[in-house]
Amino acid sequence: MRYIFKFPDIGEGLEEGVIVQWHVDKGQKVKMGESLVTMETDKVVTEIPSPRDGVIAARYGSEGETIKVGAALVEIELNADEVGDSPIEDKPKVESVEEDGAGVVGTLEVAGNDFVLTASKEGVSEQKENKTRHTKALATPVARAMAKDMGIDINLVRGTGPAQRVMKEDIQNHAKQDSKTPIPQLSSTKNLLEDRLEIEPLSQIRKTIAKNMIQSKHNAAHMTVFEEVEISELDRVRKKYKDYFKDENIRITYLAFIVKAVALALKKHKSLNAEMDMDKGVMIYKKYYNIGIAADTEKGLVVPVIKNADKLSVKEIALEIQTLADKARDGKLSMDDMKDGTFTITSYGSIGGLFAVPVINYPQAGILGIGRISKQPIVKDDKLDIGLILPLSLSVDHRIADGGETSRFLNRVMSYLNEPVGLLID
Amino acid sequence: MSTQPVLYAYNLPDYTIFESLKDFDYYIGEPDNIYIVLGRSNNIEGAINCENVKKDGIITLKRPSGGESVILSPNMLIFSFKQKSDKIQNPANLFKLINSKLIENLSKLGIENLYSKGISDLSIGEKKIMGSSMFTKNKTIFYHGVLNISEDVELIEKYLKHPSKEPDYRKKRSHREFVSSLQREGYNLTKAELTTAIENSILEIREAFID
Repeated sequence: MRYIFKFPDIGEGLEEGVIVQWHVDKGQKVKMGESLVTMETDKVVTEIPSPRDGVIAARYGSEGETIKVGAALVEIELNADEVGDSPIEDKPKVESVEEDGAGVVGTLEVAGNDFVLTASKEGVSEQKENKTRHTKALATPVARAMAKDMGIDINLVRGTGPAQRVMKEDIQNHAKQDSKTPIPQLSSTKNLLEDRLEIEPLSQIRKTIAKNMIQSKHNAAHMTVFEEVEISELDRVRKKYKDYFKDENIRITYLAFIVKAVALALKKHKSLNAEMDMDKGVMIYKKYYNIGIAADTEKGLVVPVIKNADKLSVKEIALEIQTLADKARDGKLSMDDMKDGTFTITSYGSIGGLFAVPVINYPQAGILGIGRISKQPIVKDDKLDIGLILPLSLSVDHRIADGGETSRFLNRVMSYLNEPVGLLID
Repeated sequence: MSTQPVLYAYNLPDYTIFESLKDFDYYIGEPDNIYIVLGRSNNIEGAINCENVKKDGIITLKRPSGGESVILSPNMLIFSFKQKSDKIQNPANLFKLINSKLIENLSKLGIENLYSKGISDLSIGEKKIMGSSMFTKNKTIFYHGVLNISEDVELIEKYLKHPSKEPDYRKKRSHREFVSSLQREGYNLTKAELTTAIENSILEIREAFID
């Protein structure tokens, strides 16, 4: 059986660590307690011992690479000794155990967060009879969270993992069995709920999104202004240069122009590039212009940042957007890619929607929402014409930016987008 | 000519205990000079003001443990301990335990408003007075911390850049606003008094290992 050992949460509240040095290679025999890898987090550099005897079937990440907490570090073939040194099966039975309270110095006991946790062979005796427990159940963190969310007493759940550790699947099975228990007066309701609800634990990214959104709504005074800007000229310029840079594999998008327009406008409207520190009673005006781009990924919302956007050309911004988008899609964004933003742009128009009330990326002062571009009738030189209309929604923290300054900022952004030659002149 | 100072491996006296044959050992003392100590992953250009450091001839070291760069000076106390053990420690909990013991023993000297902040800092109110980090190797934990007794924070401002990572409670404050010393906070304690308090803390922590 193959055992996946994941990079455990050290308890520092950090989300990642860096691989300093591998001490094992694929195919190498390891004993429990032998050092697998040296990892570094913010304050600790530590060797992580093997939680099991076995043979390294796979290892993940190279030296210098950043690994997320919860990501697989190694796979250990547990039965290698019993079957001699035979090659590792192609499709082994995989047991994935997530650790809690273990710390990066590694241990498998997950019954609690005791200060001292001793690694032991307890988890290996899988064939022992599953006796009734009278003590706190061993369980993975995911299983604990799921049991808590579902109101299940985890100590009553039969664990099928090593040392009767309760796994995620055990909770799901327990819930199913529980819902199938014949209670005449409630059975129909239970079946109905089972059909209508799907409960899953919150991912780390979802928790972070939730925390940030609530923090923004609680701390900032949101105000949103809506506008429309005619961008036929911008469209013409974009199309021209889109073809021009095609050979260099650079996609010149509307967003690249918008980022540049926002960065230049922020230089002239400093309150939109500021943050307020209420504790110290000061306003902090930032003299750097780092534009965050809210990106929709499979795992949730992320906001990579284009640093010093005011100093980049539209072409360079387009290239940077491309790079960050690729990283976001592949789940390879680093903390460095996402920090130090001073203003955010969220572009939902490509998916759908004209206007929105974007939530400020707190503690920033503003966020600009980009809606769906559409052809619309416009009046030009007292004649009816067809215009290309871009809807804009600007949310600001009204504690920092007053209404007048907010409108002036938005007017300037619109001016750049309406007459893009201004992006070259300013 | 390069403006970068030469970077040496960490070799201050406290590190010798890591090499000692004892399972448990500790060191408390004051540095004999001003040193800049980079964390294991710190980049010299990103961490320190190279020009000032080189001009003043400050010795720059790189320690094997994590964390950001620090300055050591004779107006500070460095304290370290090693513990070899088959028992596996949770580093975050170990930091908490150490800080709780330090708070307990430093409070006995009359220091008030002591808090454990960030991952491993000690503060008076919101001002940091002690930082620490650790590493483990061959089932041995090596912990080291530095307590600012009376060093002027301008020294830090002069030589260290703003760190690439910071604890939440720093809130982007400059070194000048973030760091303090016992003296600056109104506590004029002798090194002997502080050494005893730290020594008691370390010995109590050892009890936790034995238990």
